[in-house]
Amino acid sequence: MDSSSSGIQEPFDLIRLSLSERVFVKLRGDRELTGVLHAYDGHMNLILSDVEETIMIVEPIEGALEGQGSVKVAKRKMEMLFVRGDGVILVSPPSRT
Amino acid sequence: MDEFTPPPPDLAASPPPPPPAAISGSPTDFLKGVVGKKVIVRLTSGVDYRGVLSCLDGYMNIAMEQTAEYVNGVVTNQYGDAFIRGNNVLYISADEPL
Repeated sequence: MDSSSSGIQEPFDLIRLSLSERVFVKLRGDRELTGVLHAYDGHMNLILSDVEETIMIVEPIEGALEGQGSVKVAKRKMEMLFVRGDGVILVSPPSRT
Repeated sequence: MDEFTPPPPDLAASPPPPPPAAISGSPTDFLKGVVGKKVIVRLTSGVDYRGVLSCLDGYMNIAMEQTAEYVNGVVTNQYGDAFIRGNNVLYISADEPL
């Protein structure tokens, strides 16, 4: 039996153990979410509640190098959210002690 | 008299030894061997994740522990546990001897 420190056999176990917990989700398009995970499926479609979305908007400065600019951060809150799985890059459960 | 005797030609012409175990085997063998080890996972976006590989599946979905996120070589985030959706993965590199 593969007993790594947390004792999970497949990556989705990590998500299953995070149900009803507040998770951090990194999405395509410089977006991040935190919310309570209610449901997920094999595509990583997610149902989150009490969600805060953080959007990083990079505004290029004239005369500055490519990739340099001021980063604006926009936030918004949503009560309930369905996230389509193909936008998900990373999901991190709350660090358990 | 003859102090130096070259090896017999048949021995010298013997086939080269097989490569060391560490570099032989299929991609699957590599992935099996690297579970539980420190790895660097690079995403197609260029972001790197360094941490301990907990497990992975056929989609190359990855679970990692003690993970640090690097953007342009700078740590931008730390996660105790992280699930990475497989479609974003560019490569998995061993970060310690196997």
